[in-house]
Amino acid sequence: MKHRKALSKPFLAVSFLLLCVFVFVWDGAQAAGSSMPLLQDAGGYRPFPIEGISSRVAMWVVAELHLMFAAFVLAVPLFALIIEFIGYKTGDRRYDELAYEFTKLLSVSFSFTATLGALLTFGLIVLYPKLTEYLMSIFSWTFFPYVLLFFLEAIFLYSYYYGWGKMNPKVHLLLGVLLNLTGTAIMFIADAWLTFMNTPAGIDEAGNLVSLWGAINNYTWMPINIHRLIANVAFGGSIAAAYGAYKFLGARTEAEKAHYDWMGYVGNFIAISALLPLPFAGYWLGREIYAFSQTLGITLMGGTFSWLFIIQAVLIGNLFLAANYYLWLGMERIPGSERYRKFIKYLLASITACFIVWATPHSLVATVEEARQMGGAHHPVLGVLGVMSAKNTAVNILILTTFISFLLYRRSNKEATVSWAKAGKTAQFAIFAVVVGIVVFLGVYGYFVEATVRIGLSVPQVLSVLFAMVSVTIIDIFLFRDAKITGPIQWGKMPNRAQYALFFIAITFAWTMGLMGYVRAGMRQHWHVYGVLEDTSPDAFTPTLGFASNVISVTVLIFFTFIAIVFWITGLSGRKAWVARPDVPPEDETAQALPGDGDAQPAKQPAWEGAAS
Amino acid sequence: MKIFAFTILVSAFYSYVGQWVPQKETYPPETVELSADMTTEELVAAGQEIVAGKGTCLGCHTIGQEGGALRFPDLGNIGAVAGTRREGYSDVEYLAESLYEPNVFIVEGFNPGMPAVHRPPIGLTDQEILAVIAYLQSLGGTPTVTLATELRWQGQAPATPAAPATPSPGGAEAMDGPALVQAYLCNTCHSFDAPTPGAGPSLYDVGRRLSKAEIYEAIMEPDAVVAEGYAPGVMGATLNATGFYDRITSAQLKTLVDYLASLQGG
Repeated sequence: MKHRKALSKPFLAVSFLLLCVFVFVWDGAQAAGSSMPLLQDAGGYRPFPIEGISSRVAMWVVAELHLMFAAFVLAVPLFALIIEFIGYKTGDRRYDELAYEFTKLLSVSFSFTATLGALLTFGLIVLYPKLTEYLMSIFSWTFFPYVLLFFLEAIFLYSYYYGWGKMNPKVHLLLGVLLNLTGTAIMFIADAWLTFMNTPAGIDEAGNLVSLWGAINNYTWMPINIHRLIANVAFGGSIAAAYGAYKFLGARTEAEKAHYDWMGYVGNFIAISALLPLPFAGYWLGREIYAFSQTLGITLMGGTFSWLFIIQAVLIGNLFLAANYYLWLGMERIPGSERYRKFIKYLLASITACFIVWATPHSLVATVEEARQMGGAHHPVLGVLGVMSAKNTAVNILILTTFISFLLYRRSNKEATVSWAKAGKTAQFAIFAVVVGIVVFLGVYGYFVEATVRIGLSVPQVLSVLFAMVSVTIIDIFLFRDAKITGPIQWGKMPNRAQYALFFIAITFAWTMGLMGYVRAGMRQHWHVYGVLEDTSPDAFTPTLGFASNVISVTVLIFFTFIAIVFWITGLSGRKAWVARPDVPPEDETAQALPGDGDAQPAKQPAWEGAAS
Repeated sequence: MKIFAFTILVSAFYSYVGQWVPQKETYPPETVELSADMTTEELVAAGQEIVAGKGTCLGCHTIGQEGGALRFPDLGNIGAVAGTRREGYSDVEYLAESLYEPNVFIVEGFNPGMPAVHRPPIGLTDQEILAVIAYLQSLGGTPTVTLATELRWQGQAPATPAAPATPSPGGAEAMDGPALVQAYLCNTCHSFDAPTPGAGPSLYDVGRRLSKAEIYEAIMEPDAVVAEGYAPGVMGATLNATGFYDRITSAQLKTLVDYLASLQGG
């Protein structure tokens, strides 16, 4: 009965949450039915029929849920394809199986995404008819390729999933490529709609369409496309890693633990690899926003939302901390890693220092009295760290530190045997030292030059860090070619807290996504389409960050409830066939594998030992 | 169940971080009442209100800040220098051009980037722009414009300002003085119907003791002059904690000051 109890726990949690939602909705619907006309037109807006929930919050939550699922559905095929390709090239079936296991999560998620997308569309039509009508007047011709691509994506997705192992690998890989291309194209079209709302283009002064391509190719379209593409991979990787962690915790055999430990590691590796270039993509996006309108840029970074970026700094700092912590824990399962443990405290100190600098506010939202006490809107001491010179420096050092953690992890069980090993390591150290020097120097120099020069300094900072990462990696690959292995990686020998680190990363990613989604829409303030279509609804005000945080948390909880359902449904495929209970003696009940108990993979030999990073 | 609890815990932590930062609701800009019979002082005051509110000027400009400009030129002495910036331009013409066509002339050392204020998303009316010019003239100079002043740029702005999307919190815009006292909980510390002191001095006869300007100062800078027998810092901290300064609108403040000035005791 033990496994049955284990199964009932998540079910109880999910059921309780759904019951709460049902009671809340039922109660609200009753109230709405008695006191409010269902679709009372109010100048281009309709109120949400449940008292206590505004139309904006309803659409906010639905849109965010849709985006989270869409991000997952777009990201998983991307790295599943890459992993499958690695398996194809190396002939290592583990990669193929891993890619398939990632893909298993897709079919249910795809349905969730489509359903939420439909809900979002209907919600906009019903609650925001004025806005919907305007956007349709601009983008109606993009809807047809969107639907067509959606059909194609469904065809490619299901043939990619159901055709696994049943067709020529090259044909299957081609399906994966087509799946990714259609998914990316769908995202690009949807991005045109939302970026147009922030940085409208291709219209005349009255808001009438002049050029559809102009409206699509607005200032922030391509930066958002790229930013989302990378962020989706990071987010999808983290959810896949969370799936691995979930299965690891329920694993009943060492082989299962080894498999899901490896899966969690790969998912997290993908997530963190995508996280590293994300700030650079974000910088490009920010620059384009400023290029479109300094007012909009200042609203985003220096005005109403300046404190939002302090919350973001906490989130990103936590992501880096958790990612590094996971790597450091992972080193414990690698014989030979003892050599590098002494460096962890320095890495932790570096991350903490960078975290603190990044989380230091610049312009404080202060009352007249507070500003008077501080002698201005900037803190007299901490204000020095709150400027972009310090923050850019901190984030670059943070990225370098995480990269060093990964390098140490990677070489934990390796000893270089090449003749030039010492020179190679010295060169790597020198590159790091020089790049850190450049980053810090430019950061300090930024305090002594005008803003126009200062903004430009972030480019050489970023390029220096990228140079360090690329050049050190190249040296590392050659340095540890034919290296002496001090012992195989003992997959599965990972503490449970490492799995919680993976959950933490996934939740933090989801929360960050929610926060950034909020600010992307929020920076328009009382405009549906910035400077073109004003929001004249009762929800036109910008809520407090506390309120926004609560909405984001609720959204994240709903998302993970849905994800739990996805995990459960996906796990059903690994269950044994049902047999009539009277035939099963009580002591054999454990033979009925259940989700959460690590049943998806039959216990095989522990084949994961020594799998390379 | 542990994973579910962990998810709630982490989300709750981030929600807490969200509550920890300063809380501020931002409302769509309100239209400032302008009428042809306004005095110069009233026009300047209206202009100041537009600069800080609907014009969103203070997001980029500072006024008399020590240590230099923020992003765009400091406006602390603009009334004095406006007439000297462009040859052949009067101060009014220079200021008008800077507002209607801000990128025609860029002050040395700064980059272009200011939006035309008569177009969306700012969308000031011609009359509102005149009020802003009057205020800017007052910063180191003497206001000369009136709402009758004609500028060659006029006629491009929207004929009527966009209606505010929503009233201020709780629809308090239409409240009278006593309602505002209730809404902002002034009566928690102050008595209004008797000279009995509470946590703060009685306001029973405040209109007899203080001028409107002094009442205004007592609200906005409560520690500038502290009533005898009361500790400094208390009122300011209380008003900050209740979000008074973030929520009250200029129209409400005016109503509140007028009401308090009318309290003569007896």
